Amino acid sequence: MATAADAVAESTGPQAGPNRPLWRLRGARWFAAAVVVAQLALVANGYRDAHNYFAFQPFNESSTYAVELARVLDDGQRVAVPNGRWEGYDWNELIDWGPLRSPWRQRHAFSGVDAVVDFLDHALDWMADNTPGDTETRYWEATVTYYRNARGPHVTVIRSHDRELGGP
Amino acid sequence: MTATTSSVAAAHRPDRFHRWLSDVFDQPASVRGAAVLRIVLGPCVIWHLRPFLADALDGITYHDRFQQPWWAWYPNAPEGLYVALLWIGVAAAVLMTVGWWSRIATWVAFAVVAYNLFLSQTHFHHNRAFLVILLAGVALCDNGRALSLDALRRPPPDDRALVWPIWLLRFEAAVVYFASGFSKLIDPDWVGGRVLHDRSVRYQNEVRDALGDTLADPVLEVVTARAFHWVLSPAAVATELFIAFGLWFRRTRLVAVWVAVAFHVGIEVTSHVQVFSVIAIGALALWAVPSTRDRTLVTPSRWVRWLDWMARFDITVTPGASWCMVDRDGTVLEGREARQFVRTRLPATFLFSRFWRYR
Repeated sequence: MATAADAVAESTGPQAGPNRPLWRLRGARWFAAAVVVAQLALVANGYRDAHNYFAFQPFNESSTYAVELARVLDDGQRVAVPNGRWEGYDWNELIDWGPLRSPWRQRHAFSGVDAVVDFLDHALDWMADNTPGDTETRYWEATVTYYRNARGPHVTVIRSHDRELGGP
Repeated sequence: MTATTSSVAAAHRPDRFHRWLSDVFDQPASVRGAAVLRIVLGPCVIWHLRPFLADALDGITYHDRFQQPWWAWYPNAPEGLYVALLWIGVAAAVLMTVGWWSRIATWVAFAVVAYNLFLSQTHFHHNRAFLVILLAGVALCDNGRALSLDALRRPPPDDRALVWPIWLLRFEAAVVYFASGFSKLIDPDWVGGRVLHDRSVRYQNEVRDALGDTLADPVLEVVTARAFHWVLSPAAVATELFIAFGLWFRRTRLVAVWVAVAFHVGIEVTSHVQVFSVIAIGALALWAVPSTRDRTLVTPSRWVRWLDWMARFDITVTPGASWCMVDRDGTVLEGREARQFVRTRLPATFLFSRFWRYR
Protein backbone atom coordinates (compact mmCIF):
# COMPACT_ATOMS: atom_id res chain seq x y z
CA MET A 1 0.00 0.00 0.00
CA ALA A 2 1.31 3.44 -0.81
CA THR A 3 2.05 5.68 2.15
CA ALA A 4 1.19 9.35 2.34
CA ALA A 5 4.83 10.21 1.65
CA ASP A 6 4.84 7.96 -1.40
CA ALA A 7 1.67 9.57 -2.65
CA VAL A 8 3.32 12.94 -2.31
CA ALA A 9 6.61 11.84 -3.84
CA GLU A 10 4.96 10.24 -6.84
CA SER A 11 2.99 13.36 -7.59
CA THR A 12 3.22 14.92 -11.01
CA GLY A 13 0.51 17.49 -10.44
CA PRO A 14 0.49 20.80 -12.23
CA GLN A 15 2.06 22.61 -9.31
CA ALA A 16 4.90 20.17 -8.67
CA GLY A 17 8.23 21.63 -7.75
CA PRO A 18 10.11 21.39 -11.05
CA ASN A 19 7.39 23.35 -12.90
CA ARG A 20 7.54 26.34 -10.62
CA PRO A 21 10.07 29.13 -10.92
CA LEU A 22 12.75 29.13 -8.26
CA TRP A 23 11.78 32.56 -6.95
CA ARG A 24 8.29 31.26 -6.14
CA LEU A 25 9.64 28.20 -4.35
CA ARG A 26 12.06 30.30 -2.31
CA GLY A 27 9.49 33.03 -1.85
CA ALA A 28 7.03 30.59 -0.28
CA ARG A 29 9.66 29.48 2.23
CA TRP A 30 10.61 33.02 3.17
CA PHE A 31 6.97 34.04 3.41
CA ALA A 32 6.14 31.09 5.67
CA ALA A 33 9.18 31.78 7.84
CA ALA A 34 8.16 35.44 8.14
CA VAL A 35 4.62 34.46 9.18
CA VAL A 36 5.93 32.05 11.83
CA VAL A 37 8.32 34.66 13.25
CA ALA A 38 5.66 37.39 13.19
CA GLN A 39 3.10 35.18 14.93
CA LEU A 40 5.57 34.16 17.64
CA ALA A 41 6.50 37.83 18.11
CA LEU A 42 2.82 38.75 18.50
CA VAL A 43 2.33 35.98 21.06
CA ALA A 44 5.33 37.26 23.03
CA ASN A 45 4.07 40.84 22.67
CA GLY A 46 0.79 39.77 24.27
CA TYR A 47 2.54 39.66 27.65
CA ARG A 48 3.15 43.42 27.55
CA ASP A 49 0.28 44.65 25.37
CA ALA A 50 -2.89 45.37 27.35
CA HIS A 51 -5.04 44.20 24.43
CA ASN A 52 -2.88 41.18 23.53
CA TYR A 53 -3.78 41.56 19.86
CA PHE A 54 -3.16 38.36 17.89
CA ALA A 55 -1.65 36.84 21.04
CA PHE A 56 -4.67 34.63 21.69
CA GLN A 57 -5.21 35.01 25.42
CA PRO A 58 -9.01 34.79 25.71
CA PHE A 59 -10.79 34.83 29.07
CA ASN A 60 -7.59 36.15 30.63
CA GLU A 61 -9.23 37.85 33.61
CA SER A 62 -12.40 37.88 35.62
CA SER A 63 -12.16 41.54 36.48
CA THR A 64 -14.91 44.11 36.93
CA TYR A 65 -15.02 47.86 36.75
CA ALA A 66 -17.35 50.80 37.25
CA VAL A 67 -16.87 54.39 36.13
CA GLU A 68 -17.86 57.70 37.64
CA LEU A 69 -18.11 60.04 34.66
CA ALA A 70 -17.69 63.77 35.09
CA ARG A 71 -17.47 66.85 32.93
CA VAL A 72 -14.96 69.48 33.96
CA LEU A 73 -16.11 72.91 32.84
CA ASP A 74 -14.05 75.88 31.75
CA ASP A 75 -14.19 77.40 35.25
CA GLY A 76 -12.90 74.16 36.80
CA GLN A 77 -16.30 73.09 38.11
CA ARG A 78 -16.72 69.28 38.11
CA VAL A 79 -20.19 68.10 37.05
CA ALA A 80 -21.12 64.47 37.54
CA VAL A 81 -22.84 62.66 34.64
CA PRO A 82 -24.59 59.88 36.56
CA ASN A 83 -26.40 58.12 33.73
CA GLY A 84 -24.24 59.25 30.85
CA ARG A 85 -26.74 61.91 29.74
CA TRP A 86 -26.00 65.59 29.40
CA GLU A 87 -27.07 68.46 27.17
CA GLY A 88 -28.98 66.21 24.81
CA TYR A 89 -26.15 63.69 24.49
CA ASP A 90 -26.20 60.08 25.63
CA TRP A 91 -23.01 58.12 26.36
CA ASN A 92 -24.54 54.80 25.27
CA GLU A 93 -25.79 56.21 21.98
CA LEU A 94 -22.51 57.92 21.20
CA ILE A 95 -20.09 55.16 22.21
CA ASP A 96 -22.47 52.33 21.20
CA TRP A 97 -20.00 49.55 21.95
CA GLY A 98 -20.83 46.63 24.22
CA PRO A 99 -17.76 46.54 26.48
CA LEU A 100 -18.16 50.25 27.37
CA ARG A 101 -21.95 50.28 27.58
CA SER A 102 -23.38 51.81 30.80
CA PRO A 103 -19.98 51.86 32.52
CA TRP A 104 -21.44 53.56 35.60
CA ARG A 105 -22.74 50.11 36.53
CA GLN A 106 -20.46 47.30 37.65
CA ARG A 107 -19.31 45.68 34.38
CA HIS A 108 -17.17 42.76 33.36
CA ALA A 109 -13.84 44.02 32.03
CA PHE A 110 -13.73 42.72 28.47
CA SER A 111 -10.20 41.48 27.71
CA GLY A 112 -9.03 42.62 31.13
CA VAL A 113 -8.90 45.83 33.14
CA ASP A 114 -5.90 47.30 31.35
CA ALA A 115 -7.61 46.95 27.97
CA VAL A 116 -10.82 48.54 29.25
CA VAL A 117 -9.00 51.48 30.85
CA ASP A 118 -7.10 52.05 27.60
CA PHE A 119 -10.32 51.97 25.58
CA LEU A 120 -12.02 54.28 28.07
CA ASP A 121 -9.15 56.72 27.72
CA HIS A 122 -9.61 56.78 23.94
CA ALA A 123 -13.39 56.91 24.31
CA LEU A 124 -13.13 60.08 26.41
CA ASP A 125 -11.01 61.69 23.69
CA TRP A 126 -13.50 60.55 21.07
CA MET A 127 -16.36 62.07 23.11
CA ALA A 128 -14.46 65.32 23.41
CA ASP A 129 -14.07 65.41 19.63
CA ASN A 130 -17.60 64.38 18.70
CA THR A 131 -19.87 66.51 20.87
CA PRO A 132 -19.85 69.88 19.12
CA GLY A 133 -23.14 70.90 20.78
CA ASP A 134 -21.54 70.80 24.20
CA THR A 135 -20.11 74.30 24.63
CA GLU A 136 -19.31 74.01 28.33
CA THR A 137 -17.12 70.98 28.89
CA ARG A 138 -13.39 71.65 28.91
CA TYR A 139 -12.50 68.00 29.34
CA TRP A 140 -13.89 64.66 30.44
CA GLU A 141 -12.84 62.79 33.52
CA ALA A 142 -13.51 59.17 34.46
CA THR A 143 -12.82 57.72 37.88
CA VAL A 144 -12.48 53.99 37.30
CA THR A 145 -12.96 51.65 40.25
CA TYR A 146 -11.96 48.12 39.42
CA TYR A 147 -11.51 44.69 40.90
CA ARG A 148 -8.80 42.64 39.23
CA ASN A 149 -9.79 38.99 39.53
CA ALA A 150 -11.98 39.90 42.53
CA ARG A 151 -9.14 41.75 44.29
CA GLY A 152 -9.63 45.39 45.07
CA PRO A 153 -11.01 47.96 44.88
CA HIS A 154 -8.37 49.84 42.92
CA VAL A 155 -9.01 53.33 41.62
CA THR A 156 -7.53 55.15 38.65
CA VAL A 157 -8.49 58.47 37.10
CA ILE A 158 -8.27 59.19 33.40
CA ARG A 159 -9.21 62.28 31.41
CA SER A 160 -9.69 63.37 27.85
CA HIS A 161 -7.68 66.00 26.08
CA ASP A 162 -8.79 69.62 26.45
CA ARG A 163 -11.51 70.81 24.13
CA GLU A 164 -11.59 74.12 22.29
CA LEU A 165 -14.52 76.12 23.67
CA GLY A 166 -16.35 79.14 22.31
CA GLY A 167 -15.64 78.41 18.65
CA PRO A 168 -16.85 80.45 15.72
CA MET B 1 31.09 3.07 18.08
CA THR B 2 28.74 5.49 19.80
CA ALA B 3 30.60 8.47 18.39
CA THR B 4 30.38 7.00 14.87
CA THR B 5 26.69 6.29 15.26
CA SER B 6 25.95 9.79 16.49
CA SER B 7 28.00 11.44 13.76
CA VAL B 8 26.16 9.39 11.12
CA ALA B 9 22.84 10.36 12.71
CA ALA B 10 23.92 14.00 12.75
CA ALA B 11 24.88 13.80 9.09
CA HIS B 12 21.44 12.41 8.24
CA ARG B 13 19.59 15.08 10.16
CA PRO B 14 20.02 17.87 7.56
CA ASP B 15 18.95 15.39 4.87
CA ARG B 16 15.77 14.58 6.76
CA PHE B 17 15.15 18.27 7.35
CA HIS B 18 15.64 19.12 3.68
CA ARG B 19 13.38 16.25 2.68
CA TRP B 20 10.73 17.52 5.05
CA LEU B 21 11.12 21.04 3.67
CA SER B 22 10.83 19.70 0.16
CA ASP B 23 7.70 17.68 1.05
CA VAL B 24 6.11 20.71 2.65
CA PHE B 25 6.97 23.36 0.08
CA ASP B 26 7.61 21.68 -3.24
CA GLN B 27 5.54 18.51 -3.45
CA PRO B 28 1.81 18.61 -4.09
CA ALA B 29 -0.56 16.67 -1.86
CA SER B 30 -4.29 16.58 -1.23
CA VAL B 31 -5.87 19.95 -0.41
CA ARG B 32 -9.16 18.37 0.62
CA GLY B 33 -8.67 19.55 4.22
CA ALA B 34 -8.49 23.16 3.02
CA ALA B 35 -11.58 22.56 0.86
CA VAL B 36 -13.56 21.31 3.88
CA LEU B 37 -12.42 24.34 5.84
CA ARG B 38 -13.41 26.64 2.96
CA ILE B 39 -16.95 25.24 3.10
CA VAL B 40 -17.10 25.79 6.87
CA LEU B 41 -15.67 29.31 6.67
CA GLY B 42 -18.25 30.55 4.16
CA PRO B 43 -21.23 30.55 6.54
CA CYS B 44 -18.95 31.74 9.36
CA VAL B 45 -18.02 34.82 7.33
CA ILE B 46 -21.72 35.61 6.89
CA TRP B 47 -22.37 34.96 10.58
CA HIS B 48 -19.45 37.26 11.43
CA LEU B 49 -20.63 40.06 9.09
CA ARG B 50 -24.26 39.77 10.16
CA PRO B 51 -24.19 42.32 13.05
CA PHE B 52 -22.37 44.86 10.86
CA LEU B 53 -24.97 44.35 8.13
CA ALA B 54 -27.86 44.57 10.59
CA ASP B 55 -26.50 47.90 11.80
CA ALA B 56 -25.99 49.05 8.20
CA LEU B 57 -29.63 48.27 7.44
CA ASP B 58 -30.53 50.54 10.38
CA GLY B 59 -28.31 53.22 8.89
CA ILE B 60 -25.48 52.76 11.40
CA THR B 61 -21.86 52.12 10.46
CA TYR B 62 -18.57 52.39 12.27
CA HIS B 63 -18.60 56.11 11.39
CA ASP B 64 -21.48 56.63 13.79
CA ARG B 65 -19.98 55.18 16.95
CA PHE B 66 -16.81 55.17 18.99
CA GLN B 67 -13.90 53.81 16.99
CA GLN B 68 -10.23 53.46 17.71
CA PRO B 69 -8.21 53.34 14.48
CA TRP B 70 -5.24 50.97 14.36
CA TRP B 71 -3.23 53.25 12.11
CA ALA B 72 -3.75 56.86 11.05
CA TRP B 73 -2.96 56.03 7.41
CA TYR B 74 -5.54 53.25 7.13
CA PRO B 75 -8.19 54.20 4.53
CA ASN B 76 -11.68 54.87 5.85
CA ALA B 77 -14.32 53.81 3.35
CA PRO B 78 -17.24 56.22 2.97
CA GLU B 79 -20.51 54.86 4.33
CA GLY B 80 -21.95 53.67 1.01
CA LEU B 81 -18.76 51.94 -0.07
CA TYR B 82 -18.38 50.32 3.36
CA VAL B 83 -21.87 48.82 3.19
CA ALA B 84 -21.22 47.65 -0.39
CA LEU B 85 -18.01 45.95 0.80
CA LEU B 86 -19.94 44.08 3.49
CA TRP B 87 -22.38 42.75 0.89
CA ILE B 88 -19.49 41.79 -1.39
CA GLY B 89 -18.10 39.84 1.56
CA VAL B 90 -21.40 38.00 1.92
CA ALA B 91 -21.48 37.17 -1.79
CA ALA B 92 -17.90 35.92 -1.63
CA ALA B 93 -18.78 33.76 1.38
CA VAL B 94 -21.62 32.13 -0.54
CA LEU B 95 -19.31 31.44 -3.49
CA MET B 96 -16.72 30.00 -1.10
CA THR B 97 -19.19 27.55 0.32
CA VAL B 98 -20.40 26.26 -3.01
CA GLY B 99 -16.91 26.42 -4.45
CA TRP B 100 -17.51 28.66 -7.43
CA TRP B 101 -14.40 30.69 -8.23
CA SER B 102 -13.26 29.21 -4.95
CA ARG B 103 -9.89 30.81 -4.60
CA ILE B 104 -10.88 34.30 -5.75
CA ALA B 105 -13.95 34.19 -3.52
CA THR B 106 -11.80 33.23 -0.54
CA TRP B 107 -9.38 36.08 -1.23
CA VAL B 108 -12.30 38.53 -1.48
CA ALA B 109 -13.87 37.25 1.75
CA PHE B 110 -10.48 37.53 3.44
CA ALA B 111 -10.02 41.09 2.15
CA VAL B 112 -13.45 42.22 3.41
CA VAL B 113 -13.14 40.58 6.83
CA ALA B 114 -9.57 41.81 7.30
CA TYR B 115 -10.44 45.34 6.15
CA ASN B 116 -13.35 45.47 8.57
CA LEU B 117 -11.23 44.12 11.44
CA PHE B 118 -8.53 46.72 10.92
CA LEU B 119 -10.94 49.66 10.64
CA SER B 120 -11.14 49.94 14.41
CA GLN B 121 -9.56 48.24 17.39
CA THR B 122 -13.09 47.94 18.77
CA HIS B 123 -13.75 45.41 16.00
CA PHE B 124 -11.07 43.10 17.35
CA HIS B 125 -11.92 39.77 18.95
CA HIS B 126 -9.66 36.75 19.10
CA ASN B 127 -12.16 34.71 17.08
CA ARG B 128 -12.15 37.32 14.31
CA ALA B 129 -8.35 37.36 14.23
CA PHE B 130 -8.39 33.58 13.87
CA LEU B 131 -11.01 33.86 11.12
CA VAL B 132 -8.80 36.29 9.17
CA ILE B 133 -5.80 33.98 9.53
CA LEU B 134 -7.76 30.93 8.39
CA LEU B 135 -9.20 32.79 5.40
CA ALA B 136 -5.73 33.92 4.33
CA GLY B 137 -4.33 30.41 4.63
CA VAL B 138 -7.19 28.80 2.72
CA ALA B 139 -6.94 31.47 0.02
CA LEU B 140 -3.22 30.74 -0.39
CA CYS B 141 -4.15 27.13 -1.09
CA ASP B 142 -5.62 25.93 -4.38
CA ASN B 143 -8.73 24.99 -2.44
CA GLY B 144 -11.15 24.61 -5.36
CA ARG B 145 -9.64 21.28 -6.46
CA ALA B 146 -12.05 19.28 -4.30
CA LEU B 147 -15.59 19.60 -2.98
CA SER B 148 -16.42 22.54 -5.24
CA LEU B 149 -18.44 23.53 -8.26
CA ASP B 150 -15.12 24.49 -9.83
CA ALA B 151 -14.03 20.85 -9.63
CA LEU B 152 -17.36 19.76 -11.12
CA ARG B 153 -17.23 22.23 -14.00
CA ARG B 154 -13.56 21.67 -14.84
CA PRO B 155 -12.49 18.46 -13.16
CA PRO B 156 -8.81 18.64 -12.16
CA PRO B 157 -6.65 15.52 -12.64
CA ASP B 158 -6.64 15.06 -8.85
CA ASP B 159 -7.14 16.99 -5.64
CA ARG B 160 -3.46 17.76 -5.16
CA ALA B 161 -1.73 21.12 -4.96
CA LEU B 162 1.00 22.69 -2.87
CA VAL B 163 0.19 22.26 0.80
CA TRP B 164 2.58 24.61 2.57
CA PRO B 165 -0.36 26.92 3.41
CA ILE B 166 -1.95 23.96 5.19
CA TRP B 167 1.20 23.49 7.26
CA LEU B 168 1.17 27.20 8.03
CA LEU B 169 -2.44 26.97 9.15
CA ARG B 170 -1.61 23.95 11.31
CA PHE B 171 1.05 26.06 12.99
CA GLU B 172 -1.42 28.92 13.50
CA ALA B 173 -4.09 26.61 14.92
CA ALA B 174 -1.60 25.04 17.32
CA VAL B 175 -0.39 28.50 18.36
CA VAL B 176 -3.94 29.51 19.28
CA TYR B 177 -4.23 26.56 21.70
CA PHE B 178 -0.69 26.90 22.99
CA ALA B 179 -0.78 30.68 23.52
CA SER B 180 -4.10 30.44 25.32
CA GLY B 181 -3.03 27.49 27.49
CA PHE B 182 0.45 28.77 28.30
CA SER B 183 -0.72 32.27 29.27
CA LYS B 184 -3.14 30.67 31.73
CA LEU B 185 -0.54 28.19 32.98
CA ILE B 186 1.79 30.99 34.12
CA ASP B 187 -1.03 33.04 35.65
CA PRO B 188 -1.53 31.88 39.26
CA ASP B 189 -5.03 33.39 39.34
CA TRP B 190 -6.04 31.35 36.32
CA VAL B 191 -4.43 28.00 36.98
CA GLY B 192 -5.36 28.28 40.67
CA GLY B 193 -9.04 28.55 39.78
CA ARG B 194 -9.66 32.13 40.92
CA VAL B 195 -10.65 33.46 37.48
CA LEU B 196 -13.12 30.72 36.59
CA HIS B 197 -14.55 30.59 40.12
CA ASP B 198 -15.22 34.32 40.12
CA ARG B 199 -16.91 34.11 36.72
CA SER B 200 -19.05 31.18 37.84
CA VAL B 201 -20.20 33.04 40.94
CA ARG B 202 -20.90 36.22 38.99
CA TYR B 203 -22.89 34.57 36.23
CA GLN B 204 -24.79 32.04 38.37
CA ASN B 205 -28.02 33.94 37.71
CA GLU B 206 -27.71 33.09 34.02
CA VAL B 207 -27.40 29.41 34.89
CA ARG B 208 -30.50 29.70 37.08
CA ASP B 209 -32.40 31.43 34.27
CA ALA B 210 -31.39 28.76 31.78
CA LEU B 211 -31.97 25.67 33.91
CA GLY B 212 -34.68 26.72 36.35
CA ASP B 213 -34.37 26.50 40.14
CA THR B 214 -34.82 22.76 40.51
CA LEU B 215 -32.04 21.81 38.14
CA ALA B 216 -29.86 24.84 38.81
CA ASP B 217 -29.49 24.27 42.56
CA PRO B 218 -27.40 21.09 42.42
CA VAL B 219 -25.45 22.35 39.38
CA LEU B 220 -24.60 25.65 41.05
CA GLU B 221 -23.65 23.91 44.26
CA VAL B 222 -20.88 22.22 42.30
CA VAL B 223 -19.78 24.94 39.88
CA THR B 224 -19.65 27.73 42.45
CA ALA B 225 -17.63 25.65 44.92
CA ARG B 226 -14.04 26.90 45.16
CA ALA B 227 -12.65 23.36 45.27
CA PHE B 228 -14.29 22.52 41.94
CA HIS B 229 -12.18 25.15 40.23
CA TRP B 230 -8.96 23.86 41.76
CA VAL B 231 -9.57 20.89 39.50
CA LEU B 232 -11.39 22.46 36.53
CA SER B 233 -8.92 25.27 35.83
CA PRO B 234 -5.74 23.15 35.63
CA ALA B 235 -7.74 20.63 33.59
CA ALA B 236 -8.76 23.36 31.12
CA VAL B 237 -5.15 24.52 30.81
CA ALA B 238 -3.93 20.95 30.34
CA THR B 239 -6.61 20.39 27.70
CA GLU B 240 -5.48 23.37 25.62
CA LEU B 241 -1.82 22.40 25.86
CA PHE B 242 -2.60 18.78 25.03
CA ILE B 243 -4.50 19.82 21.91
CA ALA B 244 -1.66 22.18 20.90
CA PHE B 245 0.91 19.36 20.97
CA GLY B 246 -1.27 16.28 20.48
CA LEU B 247 -2.38 17.35 17.01
CA TRP B 248 1.19 17.14 15.72
CA PHE B 249 1.73 13.43 16.42
CA ARG B 250 0.01 10.62 14.60
CA ARG B 251 -0.45 8.51 17.72
CA THR B 252 -2.23 11.28 19.63
CA ARG B 253 -3.89 13.13 16.76
CA LEU B 254 -7.25 11.41 16.76
CA VAL B 255 -7.59 11.74 20.54
CA ALA B 256 -6.56 15.40 20.29
CA VAL B 257 -9.22 16.02 17.64
CA TRP B 258 -11.84 14.33 19.81
CA VAL B 259 -10.78 16.37 22.86
CA ALA B 260 -10.76 19.56 20.76
CA VAL B 261 -14.32 19.01 19.57
CA ALA B 262 -15.54 18.36 23.12
CA PHE B 263 -13.56 21.39 24.34
CA HIS B 264 -15.10 23.73 21.76
CA VAL B 265 -18.62 22.46 22.33
CA GLY B 266 -18.08 23.03 26.06
CA ILE B 267 -16.86 26.58 25.48
CA GLU B 268 -19.76 27.38 23.18
CA VAL B 269 -22.31 26.12 25.69
CA THR B 270 -20.82 28.02 28.63
CA SER B 271 -19.55 31.17 26.91
CA HIS B 272 -20.71 32.32 23.53
CA VAL B 273 -17.60 33.01 21.49
CA GLN B 274 -19.07 34.13 18.16
CA VAL B 275 -17.63 32.08 15.30
CA PHE B 276 -14.68 30.66 17.23
CA SER B 277 -16.04 27.22 18.09
CA VAL B 278 -17.19 26.47 14.55
CA ILE B 279 -14.06 27.67 12.76
CA ALA B 280 -11.81 25.91 15.25
CA ILE B 281 -13.67 22.64 14.73
CA GLY B 282 -13.57 23.21 10.96
CA ALA B 283 -9.82 23.83 11.15
CA LEU B 284 -9.37 20.33 12.57
CA ALA B 285 -9.86 19.09 8.98
CA LEU B 286 -6.40 20.50 8.24
CA TRP B 287 -4.84 17.78 10.39
CA ALA B 288 -5.98 14.96 8.13
CA VAL B 289 -3.03 13.31 6.36
CA PRO B 290 -2.92 15.08 2.97
CA SER B 291 -3.32 11.97 0.86
CA THR B 292 -6.56 10.53 -0.40
CA ARG B 293 -7.95 7.14 -1.32
CA ASP B 294 -4.84 5.37 -0.06
CA ARG B 295 -6.81 2.79 1.92
CA THR B 296 -8.93 0.32 0.01
CA LEU B 297 -12.34 -0.64 1.25
CA VAL B 298 -14.81 -3.24 0.05
CA THR B 299 -18.20 -2.69 1.62
CA PRO B 300 -21.82 -3.61 1.05
CA SER B 301 -22.94 -0.14 2.29
CA ARG B 302 -23.44 2.83 0.02
CA TRP B 303 -23.49 5.29 2.95
CA VAL B 304 -19.73 5.17 3.35
CA ARG B 305 -19.29 7.01 0.04
CA TRP B 306 -21.62 9.76 1.18
CA LEU B 307 -19.84 10.20 4.50
CA ASP B 308 -16.26 9.94 3.26
CA TRP B 309 -15.78 13.71 2.80
CA MET B 310 -12.06 13.50 3.37
CA ALA B 311 -11.70 10.73 0.75
CA ARG B 312 -9.90 8.44 3.17
CA PHE B 313 -10.89 5.30 1.25
CA ASP B 314 -10.82 3.89 -2.25
CA ILE B 315 -14.29 2.39 -1.99
CA THR B 316 -15.80 -0.53 -3.86
CA VAL B 317 -19.45 -1.13 -3.04
CA THR B 318 -20.32 -4.79 -3.53
CA PRO B 319 -23.83 -5.80 -2.43
CA GLY B 320 -23.69 -8.83 -0.16
CA ALA B 321 -19.92 -8.67 0.39
CA SER B 322 -18.45 -8.52 3.89
CA TRP B 323 -16.42 -5.52 5.00
CA CYS B 324 -12.72 -5.60 4.14
CA MET B 325 -10.28 -2.73 4.54
CA VAL B 326 -6.58 -2.56 3.64
CA ASP B 327 -4.73 0.17 5.55
CA ARG B 328 -1.84 2.30 4.27
CA ASP B 329 0.71 -0.04 5.83
CA GLY B 330 -0.92 -3.15 4.32
CA THR B 331 -2.78 -4.18 7.46
CA VAL B 332 -5.98 -6.00 6.53
CA LEU B 333 -9.09 -5.64 8.69
CA GLU B 334 -12.25 -7.61 8.05
CA GLY B 335 -15.86 -7.67 9.21
CA ARG B 336 -16.67 -5.81 12.40
CA GLU B 337 -13.09 -4.59 12.84
CA ALA B 338 -13.05 -3.06 9.38
CA ARG B 339 -16.42 -1.40 9.99
CA GLN B 340 -15.25 0.06 13.29
CA PHE B 341 -12.03 1.35 11.74
CA VAL B 342 -13.96 3.05 8.93
CA ARG B 343 -16.15 4.78 11.48
CA THR B 344 -13.06 6.23 13.17
CA ARG B 345 -12.05 7.88 9.88
CA LEU B 346 -15.36 9.43 8.82
CA PRO B 347 -15.93 13.01 10.02
CA ALA B 348 -19.58 12.36 10.86
CA THR B 349 -19.01 9.20 12.90
CA PHE B 350 -15.55 9.33 14.44
CA LEU B 351 -16.78 11.08 17.59
CA PHE B 352 -18.99 8.12 18.42
CA SER B 353 -16.53 5.39 17.56
CA ARG B 354 -14.07 3.51 19.69
CA PHE B 355 -11.15 5.44 18.25
CA TRP B 356 -8.69 4.44 20.98
CA ARG B 357 -8.52 0.94 19.58
CA TYR B 358 -7.47 2.19 16.16
CA ARG B 359 -5.05 5.04 16.66
